[in-house]
Amino acid sequence: MMVQRGLLCSLLFLLMLTGCVTPDIRKGTDMLFTTVDAAAKAARPISEEEEYFVGRAVAARIFSSYPLLDNKRLTTYINTMGRALALHSQRPFTYGGYHFAVLNSAEVNAFACPGGIILITRGMVDLARNEDELAAILAHEIAHINYRHGINSIQQSRWTEALSIIGTKAIKEYGPQDLSRLVHIFEGSIDDVFKTLVVNGYGISQEYMADEAAKVYLTRTGYDPSALIAVLERLESYGASSGTGIIKTHPDPKDRIENLKKKILPSQVDTTLLSLRTKRFTSAVQ
Amino acid sequence: MKTRLGVPLLLLCFFVSLSWAEPVMVLTKENAIREAPKFFAPVKMQVKYSDMLDVMNQEGDWYRVQFKGITGYIHKTAIEKKSISFSETFATQRKGTSDAEVALAGKGFTPQVEKAYKNKHPEMKYSLVDRVETYTIQDADVIAFLKRGGLQEP
Repeated sequence: MMVQRGLLCSLLFLLMLTGCVTPDIRKGTDMLFTTVDAAAKAARPISEEEEYFVGRAVAARIFSSYPLLDNKRLTTYINTMGRALALHSQRPFTYGGYHFAVLNSAEVNAFACPGGIILITRGMVDLARNEDELAAILAHEIAHINYRHGINSIQQSRWTEALSIIGTKAIKEYGPQDLSRLVHIFEGSIDDVFKTLVVNGYGISQEYMADEAAKVYLTRTGYDPSALIAVLERLESYGASSGTGIIKTHPDPKDRIENLKKKILPSQVDTTLLSLRTKRFTSAVQ
Repeated sequence: MKTRLGVPLLLLCFFVSLSWAEPVMVLTKENAIREAPKFFAPVKMQVKYSDMLDVMNQEGDWYRVQFKGITGYIHKTAIEKKSISFSETFATQRKGTSDAEVALAGKGFTPQVEKAYKNKHPEMKYSLVDRVETYTIQDADVIAFLKRGGLQEP
């Protein structure tokens, strides 16, 4: 009898949860959830979709200073390599996906636009001596996107102001006044990210984070992680002679090399596979 | 008596578990429901941003989901758990998919904002950004690239 009563109680409980509740109870639960939703949205971070629109605008601005290199072979090569690396990252999918392009500039530089557009200069491609080194450069930029370093450089006050306009309602179109304010905030946000990517650079801790994540992506993909150290050493020599491009905006490669040397142990590299990859690298970058 | 009540109760629990499939929203512009929980598993169905899928269970970094009668797998980073009310949950399940309006709720930087920004700043090279976004690589090409280079599939 006790068992039957227990079963009946369970049955009634399940029926309540599946919708056989009184309207008052449902109203009560809805109010609770709505309050929780509103509170969560009021302090929410920038969404993936919003990050995508900021990234597109930042890339459009970079293209105002750097022309796009029209080289189908190289473009396909870096996009294939970049996609393979991104799939080994902790954020294999972004709203708009990862896209890689080469900028027609001799300057040595690379930019990870929020959302997944990665722009790398021809000078940076030329800095790499083999596929593993080029993969190391791309992996480092993918890591900046994974950690949302670019989008996180938007001033908190801008986003707080944006949230006050956005509210929590489902709005398809903003009115002229709200739209004008949002465009102003959007402009400011692009400025913040652009300054970080192109003018000031990331902080040393963000570079360490990106280096260490790049090491993981390279290892998972099967590349030699010490290629990252090799490319940083070359960057150091380049910086000593030029003092432009990435050297202006990035911390001293010496510190990053030291940090990586503590984390990357010397490993045996399959020279046959490395030479296979170097062959296709040479063919793609020439 | 115990047996007579036990069977209907089990059936009820089964249907309850089905109706409790958790709704999740596709977060990326495009994605795919795959046959197996692997990046290069054959695609069963294409999905797009704001499609609402029902989660059956989780297997590592992948969710087994159901959408329009098709069951398959999608990666955890391609979806977002939507915290919606009980009544919305049931309404969503009845409709099968949710409104794109639900997805747009409370969004700040939208296509409308981008359009207004582009009109204000015609000097920005959006045409090149659109071009770069067309650079896509097929699964088969990535697999071949990895294989030829002695590299690992994810």
